[in-house]
Amino acid sequence: MAQKNAEKRKIMIELFSYTPVMKGFIVLILTGFAFPITGVYLLRMNLLPLRFMLMHGAILGGALSLAMEVNPFAGTLVINLLLVLLMTRMSRTLKTDPGQLSAFFMVVSISLAFIFIYKFQVPAKDTLSLMWGSLYTLNEFEFVGTLVFSAMLILFQALFRHQLRAVFFDADIARTSGVNESGFYYAIILITAVTVAAAMKLIGALLLDALLLLPALIASYHAKSYRGMVLWSSFWGGLFATVGFLLSLVLELPASSTIAIFASCVFFVLIITHKK
Amino acid sequence: MEHSLILYHNNQQIFTSDEHWLYPLFEVESFLKHSTIPVGELFLKDKIAGKAAAALIVRLGIRTCHIDLLSERAIPFFEQHGVKFTFNQKVDHIQCRTEDLITDKMSMEDTYLFLRKRAGKVQGTTLKINSLKISIAGKPILENLDLELGRGEQLIIQGENGSGKTTLLRAILGLIKSDQGSILIGEELVGSAAWLKNRVQTGYLNQDTIKNNFPITASEVVAIGVSGIKISKGERDYRVELCMRKTGCFHLQNQLFNQLSGGEKQRVSLARCLCQNARLLLLDEPTSYLDDNGKDELAALLYELSRNEAPTMLLVSHDSIWADKLKWPRKTLKNGKL
Repeated sequence: MAQKNAEKRKIMIELFSYTPVMKGFIVLILTGFAFPITGVYLLRMNLLPLRFMLMHGAILGGALSLAMEVNPFAGTLVINLLLVLLMTRMSRTLKTDPGQLSAFFMVVSISLAFIFIYKFQVPAKDTLSLMWGSLYTLNEFEFVGTLVFSAMLILFQALFRHQLRAVFFDADIARTSGVNESGFYYAIILITAVTVAAAMKLIGALLLDALLLLPALIASYHAKSYRGMVLWSSFWGGLFATVGFLLSLVLELPASSTIAIFASCVFFVLIITHKK
Repeated sequence: MEHSLILYHNNQQIFTSDEHWLYPLFEVESFLKHSTIPVGELFLKDKIAGKAAAALIVRLGIRTCHIDLLSERAIPFFEQHGVKFTFNQKVDHIQCRTEDLITDKMSMEDTYLFLRKRAGKVQGTTLKINSLKISIAGKPILENLDLELGRGEQLIIQGENGSGKTTLLRAILGLIKSDQGSILIGEELVGSAAWLKNRVQTGYLNQDTIKNNFPITASEVVAIGVSGIKISKGERDYRVELCMRKTGCFHLQNQLFNQLSGGEKQRVSLARCLCQNARLLLLDEPTSYLDDNGKDELAALLYELSRNEAPTMLLVSHDSIWADKLKWPRKTLKNGKL
């Protein structure tokens, strides 16, 4: 038994000596701490439909990038940014509910994605890889870009925590307290667009909620203040990413699914405990 | 040059003022706040005193004074409150509009507050609405509405549900654009760049705050009042504590806002408005979701506010019984007009 454990430890250490694994681990840990902050924003501003739109937008971006043979990460980022700008602009000028517009763009995005896949004969397997991410295939641009964005997100939260707290408490009160509420709304939407694009690359469209929403949801169960909610969701996100990643290596499972399963288990246990 | 007012203690000049009208006496008030000398030991020498100055001298607690030119109308004030006075010359009345405006029905506190407002020594600002017209989805809500409130004045606007009370408040806050007309807060036109820069001068207590379930402590809610301005942590903490103490909710500082009673939430919300130094306070149905105790607490708190900081306050409510307790002037909003 002891010999088996020692062998496993050796394999683990060996795995970390591979640059893609190490890169994936570093990015995952930092995003694990940073991305749940976006989850708090999404929950508080009731922007869940926006998240679905961005997930579908990312698939469109990925399909388009594969068809045009450009970097899929950059493609999803550009499409997501375009979608949020279009959606917020239309929502303002047409005075339409952003939720309805999100649903509209969601349908349009996925339809266009399949048209591109069909017309440009993009291998479906490549496009569908967006669904479960590709943590170990990060190129230099994706690696550095994700790290810089995560650091900026943490900085944004730290610098504007008072204004954000006001906006999340009550938009009208924030405005009458002199906070540029609409500026923060747009900033949060842009942050969401980038976060979703990056999280899709790391753990995929179907599992990104494990990093984005579950930590924030769990934090909302026990946090006693906004500060607590941000810190706790960061803690849970970091924990899920670290433990999930290490478990995936030990159990020889895909990292994204292991992270998602581990996060879901913790969430389930906390729901049960909370009800008691 | 001879000073307009001199304050003595044991024949030593301890304070002088060269201001005019009632301002020297308000300066004395500020001076005494930081002085340890017993007020009863002071002697005040003033150039002119009418009813208004006499009322202020009495309220300051001065027991002995000399007035160069004394109005006959000031004498009952001094005699009634045991102030020893001498004078050089006595006249029937002095040429001062303020003296005419003080009636016998006014209590000492009412007189004092009236004088503070007249001297601009209250936190409140002015509000002037001219021919305001607002339509929502093509339906006229407010039509040629005019309203004027002076510094530190209060007004209750009543009306049926859907009569446009909340729309009026939101227009004053700049949250709704008007079709026509203008809203002036102090010297600033709502919607202008100057107003935007100074937007914090209008505090807002909305109905929805009571139902807010965001996990945030009471002191964090109060700190929202200063979230739009650059301020050091020390200053922010000081302002939050001061305002929570003023509204009697400092003991709730670490409690979750969503777990407070309705009355406590309104106390915290008022502290938030004080923290942002609101000079105009807009209260939208503040008694919604409050029980009788909460309503009484709020009425007492608003009374205290109107006496101390005295921000200009505009309150909309359909709770007539509660509004009676405030004894504020009232207007009814009907068919888009007051």
